[in-house]
Amino acid sequence: MKKVVMGNEAAALAAKLARVQVVSAYPITPQTIIVETLADIISRGELKAKYMPVESEHSAMSSCMGASMVGARAFTATSSQGLAYMHEMLHYTAGARVPIVMANCNRALTPPWNLYCDHTDSLSQRDTGWIQYYCADVQDVLDSILIAYAVAERVMLPVMINLDAFYLTHTSELLVVPEQEVVDAFLPPYKPSNKLDVDDPRTFGNVCGADLFTSIKYKRYCDGLLVESLWDQAAVKFHGHFNRSRPAVEAYRTEDADVCIISIGTATGAVRLAVDRLREEGMKAGSVRLAMVKPFPVEGFDRATASAKHIIVIDRDVSYGAEGIIAQEVKAGLFDRHKDMTFTGFISGVGGNDITPETIVPLVQQAISGQGEAVKAGKTFWTEVLP
Amino acid sequence: MQSKTVIKRLSELPTMPCTIDTMAWNQTGDWRYLTPLVENKPAPCHSNCPAGIPIPDYLSAVKRGNLQEGLALLLSHNPLPGLTGRLCYHPCQTKCCRKKIDGAISIQEIERFMAGLATEIKNRRTRPSDERVAVIGSGPVGLSCAFYLGCLGFQVTVLDARDRAGGALADLPSKKVEAQVLEAEIKRVVHIADINIETSASFDLSKPREMLSKADLVILDPTGLMEETGMPVGAVSFNPFVDEEICGDIIAVTLSGNLKPFKAPMIAHYIAAGRLTAEKAFAYLVRRSDKEGLKKRRPHLSRLAAKVDDILMGHFSTSGLAADAKSGQEGTWDHDRALQEAGRCLSCGTCNLCLQCVLSCPDASIRLDSDKNAVEVDLYHCKGCGICAYECPRGVITMEEINA
Repeated sequence: MKKVVMGNEAAALAAKLARVQVVSAYPITPQTIIVETLADIISRGELKAKYMPVESEHSAMSSCMGASMVGARAFTATSSQGLAYMHEMLHYTAGARVPIVMANCNRALTPPWNLYCDHTDSLSQRDTGWIQYYCADVQDVLDSILIAYAVAERVMLPVMINLDAFYLTHTSELLVVPEQEVVDAFLPPYKPSNKLDVDDPRTFGNVCGADLFTSIKYKRYCDGLLVESLWDQAAVKFHGHFNRSRPAVEAYRTEDADVCIISIGTATGAVRLAVDRLREEGMKAGSVRLAMVKPFPVEGFDRATASAKHIIVIDRDVSYGAEGIIAQEVKAGLFDRHKDMTFTGFISGVGGNDITPETIVPLVQQAISGQGEAVKAGKTFWTEVLP
Repeated sequence: MQSKTVIKRLSELPTMPCTIDTMAWNQTGDWRYLTPLVENKPAPCHSNCPAGIPIPDYLSAVKRGNLQEGLALLLSHNPLPGLTGRLCYHPCQTKCCRKKIDGAISIQEIERFMAGLATEIKNRRTRPSDERVAVIGSGPVGLSCAFYLGCLGFQVTVLDARDRAGGALADLPSKKVEAQVLEAEIKRVVHIADINIETSASFDLSKPREMLSKADLVILDPTGLMEETGMPVGAVSFNPFVDEEICGDIIAVTLSGNLKPFKAPMIAHYIAAGRLTAEKAFAYLVRRSDKEGLKKRRPHLSRLAAKVDDILMGHFSTSGLAADAKSGQEGTWDHDRALQEAGRCLSCGTCNLCLQCVLSCPDASIRLDSDKNAVEVDLYHCKGCGICAYECPRGVITMEEINA
């Protein structure tokens, strides 16, 4: 079945198709449609789930954790300030190894007040231990949520599926809605081997000395390193069921690319148009979309940038006192190869500014030619800044 | 106590950070400062009863339909329920916690109903004895004292100069107490305690030695003697509420000013005076006989009472309960009505195994012991948080400084 829906509705549909059993959320623009749609679906009886309206995002995540710990498949959604409010529980849920999936609508952090797209909210949660995935389009929202449950329940880590505010949450696109049976075949019910169970009582998250604590954290670290390959395996399996693939890294025209433009989220569409335009002008450009950002998908990234001599990163976020957060991650990923290539990071589209091919093309040209204001600045260049 | 399982290899660690075996070895009871004491406490009605009747206990028996058990409990503290049910100013009802919900339990009506029950209750003599006690006067103090001494196994004779037993009670107008009610009450006292009452008895208070020839102890009942008589020669004045022990073989019970002369609404106080006299007379006789040196354990009266504030009204729903707490028509209560009214009792201060404590203990350290039919605190693991005491709807659990 095909439907024209917004990204938010696709997220709700995905939760329904995943047969989530508990939804606990607190509404916030631009996420509200997700929880409203799910509340409707549940109240109409189309999804057998418990909908828990709570008084805060902190409680939303806490109750999802409780639900997940007793073996229920749990879903929540938030954005920006709400995500920041959840921060404590993000660490907790990742540490507790509960496979929650959350949709986060990337919105700028205040002040000043701004409802529009910006990735600083979720990227500033990168060290919580959550797996982070950034969607490129409406179909990606639905697909990645289904894959996310498969991966989360395999590796026992929570997954954050990120949707660009308004560019994705409120933009209608054609969506292929898979049949429930097909989804069921891909994603069987969650059956944890270990859970809160009155018939098998045990203490979770109990006091623990330094000896075991270190080992527990180390175990989680090791499991985190498996996530990229687990995701790609799940994506291959997903392809088998749905004939679409959602790998951790998505490359476009990179086979022979000298210049690789790294982006996340919906800006990738504009980057690809820019790549086409740059290729017309004779530049061997390619686009690399980091669908998964945390853990950093080293293998996919290395493959996609194998021929690159110039790396350009467009960040819709910033780490103050440093540079773009994706730029930092990419630099870390490139460390072994940094002598063979140049690196330029731009900050663009912060707080909802549109990232267009017209923005990207001149930036790339300046970075490659070594001339122009973006290069002269001598530091991370911000677009759309007042003169 | 189970031993600790030690994880030695990374592969033994569970994915979720959780225990893999029992934590019972971790005896967190060491952390405790205050200890929950699960102990029934007198309910506010009980504490306020001059005769100290454990009202919730007998109401709970009535609730269960065990009327004879309820009557036995009632009689064990009050041998004259038919009279208290008519005369007493019932301070029990003034303190009834149920007032906060709808209305006080009509304890007095239930008492009257109980008094009207036919009974075959018979005292089991706990200490067959040759010792004889003469009680002079069959007023409420004398009847109560004779009842308890009779129940304790003494040969008790109550002497009354008048042709009717009851002393001051017999002088009450019939609209307060009908003659046949008083008669029935006295008949039950005689029957249960196996005592003798001699009416129209002749005795000479001026010749105490003569009386002592027939008894080991003579007790003069101020509510049973016809008129204010002077203290007989050789008699020792004894106030049961004040004096610790009896010193002398002829004692004249004296009462404080508020109980003199006889006031019918104070009947429960006279009953208490009689019981206290009996307890102390028992101690005196045991001491004097010096047979086995056995000591009668006195009822534990100093227990901390459950306070009205300890009773959590939120736990008791008002729905579906009898709202007509007003006392009904005089003496017309039938079996069903009495049971229904007893059913309204909240059993303040008495554990009725509602298990609210068990449900609310975060450490699962208070549990129902089905063998003992009581809740038991696991002191090896109880950290003393006090949630059980807070949650107990009846104020049975209190947090105490106990050095274990």
